[in-house]
Amino acid sequence: MHGEYKTPGGKLVVVDFEVRDGKIVEPMVSGDFFLYPEESLEHIVGSLVGLSIDSSEEQIAEVVAAAVPEGTEMLGFSPEAIAIAIRRGLA
Amino acid sequence: MSRTEQHYPREADARWRDYEWEIIPTSPMPPAMNIALDEVLTRRVGAGDRRPTLRFWGWDSPVIVIGRFQSVRNEVQIENAAEHGVQVVRRITGGGAMFTLPGLDITYSIYAPPDLVKGLSFPESYAFLDSWVVDTYRELGIDAWYAPLNDITSSGGKIGGAAQARRFGAVLHHTMTSYDMDPTLMTQVLRIGMEKLSDKGLRSADKRVGPLRQQTSLPREAFFHALTERFMDLTGGELGEISNLEHQAAVELVRSKFSTEEWTYLLP
Repeated sequence: MHGEYKTPGGKLVVVDFEVRDGKIVEPMVSGDFFLYPEESLEHIVGSLVGLSIDSSEEQIAEVVAAAVPEGTEMLGFSPEAIAIAIRRGLA
Repeated sequence: MSRTEQHYPREADARWRDYEWEIIPTSPMPPAMNIALDEVLTRRVGAGDRRPTLRFWGWDSPVIVIGRFQSVRNEVQIENAAEHGVQVVRRITGGGAMFTLPGLDITYSIYAPPDLVKGLSFPESYAFLDSWVVDTYRELGIDAWYAPLNDITSSGGKIGGAAQARRFGAVLHHTMTSYDMDPTLMTQVLRIGMEKLSDKGLRSADKRVGPLRQQTSLPREAFFHALTERFMDLTGGELGEISNLEHQAAVELVRSKFSTEEWTYLLP
């Protein structure tokens, strides 16, 4: 699956993933966004593994937001942007 | 084009003089060396082993430089790039892909202590660290300004983009601007999706960019000269060079990291 979302005035975020047994597996989050520190991406990607494909945009955004380590700066994208990209990938 | 300008507190300008700067002129080198030198020089400045530095990049090969978080397949038409001898390298900062041929870009990195941008927001720090460039371009007759988050743009289109990393005890800020371009080759080697253009109206991919050459008859060398002069005036800095030690460290990093598939295809 492949979903893209560009935050208006911000950056593109792309989520590629597979679906197995109704769950998201092997997610990859990419794009031209900025993220400090860079290692926070692993936490974001990790939070997507095993998510039910029935999760709503709001639910996905909540899970991602909870996984973002404190002190992380997301520039040009957001947990909501990632959630929209995933929902688009599933549509 | 709507004119949304990114500002920063002008009193920050005085901070450039807090440091003794070194300026490294452009010289052609393999794409991966430019990326490796960014890591080496950021570490050196962060450790206090080198003065804060401005380095102008140079290429010996056509190149696509992708951002730290970009997927190669989503950004690059890999077979076309290989066919045209365009190397693909991944840099250590976020942001978007840039394509250039040797001699067509004006690219530089600033390696500085974090105090230079202390108290500024990220968007302010981008505008601040590139302000001397926007001022130089304006002085040379280009109607340029800074657009959030990280673009040097103009009434003739986007000129270039910046990216930062805050690592190794220092700030790395680099900016690629386009003096001239090959729009046909660009559309053959880059992928420019519709979603990316979704909030930019109906402009086509190659109309989004407005290289300096389309807006002036000045040669590229005049820009390097003017930029160097202005940075020297701003900072009191002097010309320097990459040391043998730094060069060796970068060669080693190219071998162990930046030329490897593992790094370039970190996000396949």
